Amino acid sequence: MTVEIHYYVLLSAALFCIGLFGVLTRRNALMFLMSVEIMLNAANINLIAFAFYHGNLSGQVFALFTMALAAAEVAVGLGIILVLYRNFRDVDVTVPSAMRW
Amino acid sequence: MVSAFEFAPAIALLPLAAFVVALVFGNGMPKKGAYAGILATAGSLLLSLWMFATVAGGEVYNEGLYDWAIGDEITFHFGVLIDPLSALMLVIVSLVALLVHIFSLGYMNAEGETGLRRYYAELGLFTFSMLAFVLADNLLMAFMFFELVGLCSYLLIGFWFRTRSAPSAAKKAFLVTRFGDYFFLIGVVGIGATFGTLTFAGDASFVAEAQSAIEAGETFHGLGAETWVTILGLLVLGGVIGKSAQFPLHTWLPDAMEGPTTVSALIHAATMVAAGVYLVARMFGFYAQSPTALAIIAFVGGFTALFAATMGVVKDDIKQVLAYSTISQYGYMMLGLGVGGYVAGVFHLMNHAFFKALLFLGAGAVIILMHHEQDMWKMGGLKDRAPVAYYTFLAGSLALAGIVPFSGFWSKDEILYDALILGLEEPIFLAAYAMGLVAVFFTGFYTFRMVFLTFHGNPRSEAARDPHPLGMNVKIPLIVLGVLAVVAGAANLAPVYKLAGLDITFLEHWLDGAYTDGMEGMTYHEYSEMTGYETGYIGSETITLLIGAALSLGLAFGGAGLAYILYNVPEPKAHTENLGSARTVLRSNYYQDEVQVWIAEGLTLPVARMADRFDQSVIDGVVNGVSSVSLFGSGGMKRLQTGVVTNYAALIVLGFIALVVGLGVYGGWFV
Repeated sequence: MTVEIHYYVLLSAALFCIGLFGVLTRRNALMFLMSVEIMLNAANINLIAFAFYHGNLSGQVFALFTMALAAAEVAVGLGIILVLYRNFRDVDVTVPSAMRW
Repeated sequence: MVSAFEFAPAIALLPLAAFVVALVFGNGMPKKGAYAGILATAGSLLLSLWMFATVAGGEVYNEGLYDWAIGDEITFHFGVLIDPLSALMLVIVSLVALLVHIFSLGYMNAEGETGLRRYYAELGLFTFSMLAFVLADNLLMAFMFFELVGLCSYLLIGFWFRTRSAPSAAKKAFLVTRFGDYFFLIGVVGIGATFGTLTFAGDASFVAEAQSAIEAGETFHGLGAETWVTILGLLVLGGVIGKSAQFPLHTWLPDAMEGPTTVSALIHAATMVAAGVYLVARMFGFYAQSPTALAIIAFVGGFTALFAATMGVVKDDIKQVLAYSTISQYGYMMLGLGVGGYVAGVFHLMNHAFFKALLFLGAGAVIILMHHEQDMWKMGGLKDRAPVAYYTFLAGSLALAGIVPFSGFWSKDEILYDALILGLEEPIFLAAYAMGLVAVFFTGFYTFRMVFLTFHGNPRSEAARDPHPLGMNVKIPLIVLGVLAVVAGAANLAPVYKLAGLDITFLEHWLDGAYTDGMEGMTYHEYSEMTGYETGYIGSETITLLIGAALSLGLAFGGAGLAYILYNVPEPKAHTENLGSARTVLRSNYYQDEVQVWIAEGLTLPVARMADRFDQSVIDGVVNGVSSVSLFGSGGMKRLQTGVVTNYAALIVLGFIALVVGLGVYGGWFV
């Protein structure tokens, strides 16, 4: 028995909203990064579900690429967080606000 | 065999070389560059005479030499046009320039002037510009050299720039003539834009184009072709009025007497001031197509002739008298051209160049005699002490006053005769004729007032009792010009021809192309047909001629006789005092300087202030308003950029939602 496609879509939408909520509300940079990861994986779920639904492998391949990209993004993001901590002794994203008008 | 015309550019380039030589090496040369100028102008004179002889041999030359801007519609070029008119003018200009250079040896060098290198360099530059102006085959080239002679005039008037008055006079001359030249420039642009060519002569000249446009009944900018030609002609006339010192732009010429007298003789009597009249003669075919423009020329000329002559009556400075007389005589030339007397106008131009250069050089000689005193009331009795100066000056004065048989009589009489016979048919021109006729009386009076005060009676100052001697370099130019002033009238003895039937109107034949081929559309007869003037006579041609000549001669003798009675006494009195308030008006030159200053300060300045205020408040206000709105707006907008990443994320999400909702509304999802 296969799971209906709309459950996947609902799961993915729920995960994306959780990630978005995290991005908009969390001040901790690590939580921020995690939320972004959740949003990425929500997209991945969609890609794989529809690839399965259509019997087409390219969606799954694309999800692999997304994972590789996410790994790279995490590396860069953690680097930024390290620098952030070194400069401000804190990882609160609202503190460094010098880059504005 | 090389054609003589191959050397035509050299006529102008020789003085240019003298300018460069005098400028660079002047200080190291004997006489500070005078010899370079004398050699160059002598060369120009010889070449001009050669051109004259070649033209007399039946050739004319009309060649473009160098295209300096080539466009689709119009091409600008330098070129040379040598026809009877320009050949005659070349000889006049180079002859007077040569004599003035020689005279300068006595007037400038011998007096120990400083700045002689500058003087001779500027004189060379002027001669170059003037000759190039005469040679010009198109209106733009003429305009360029017209401006260049104006510049040289400015430089030379301001030669003694350490005095207070000379720089101010130079500036005045520059600005007043430049005012006229603005109109000239607009006229040049207008002619070029309308007809697509600026050449004077040939089938593709703007004169021929204008003629065919009028015949074809074309319209330009909603105006008939003739009206448009009139407008263009009057614009060019603006430059002529400025340069030839015609009313109302004549005020600069009397002030220009601040320059050295040699400069006055060359520039402000014989050549540069003639440039305006020469230009009218040069493009006479153009003016001939517009009776309105011609009538305006005639009236400006007639009025100026009378107006300036009345002011000359009360002046005490010998050069001032000559300056007003110059304005008046150029008025006669304009009158002559305006009534269709092309030959008469050019004839007077030639005669005037000789006798006025003579009178100015004579005045220069008097100033040398008097140890640089110019007030005629301090002279007197120079007749016996300087006979050469006296007799040459007298010859020039007789010519100026128009006494038979001196040269001025023949040309002035011809102008007045042309005006009279036209006036008999079209009475409006009788007014211009009357002004010219009355001016004859004043001319005779002020001329002989000057002669008697300067040379007759008892010496009235120490300098006049013991005058400075004159050198040969002063006497030779005076004698050459004196002879010319006596005999130049023989070039065109029109009255004798009409009375006695002797065919001795050489100048008329000369300008009629009788000796030359290839000047279609530029001969006197064709001009006369173009003007379409009808002429009338009192009784017959002979009677009209005799009446006209008797009237002008009688008035000239009347003026001279009055001067004889009043001033040819051992101790003359200032009879002008008896004129009362009229004298004050005349001595103040009819308050024209005051009027012009009032126009500048009372009229132009407030208008300029208003324009400035409009510019500052309205124009700048709009610009500043636009920028302050954008400044204020961006001041608010920039606060969106908080520097906090979370806010950016929120904005992106909100923007995305707004985009989706917008797409939904337009896409009809909610219907």
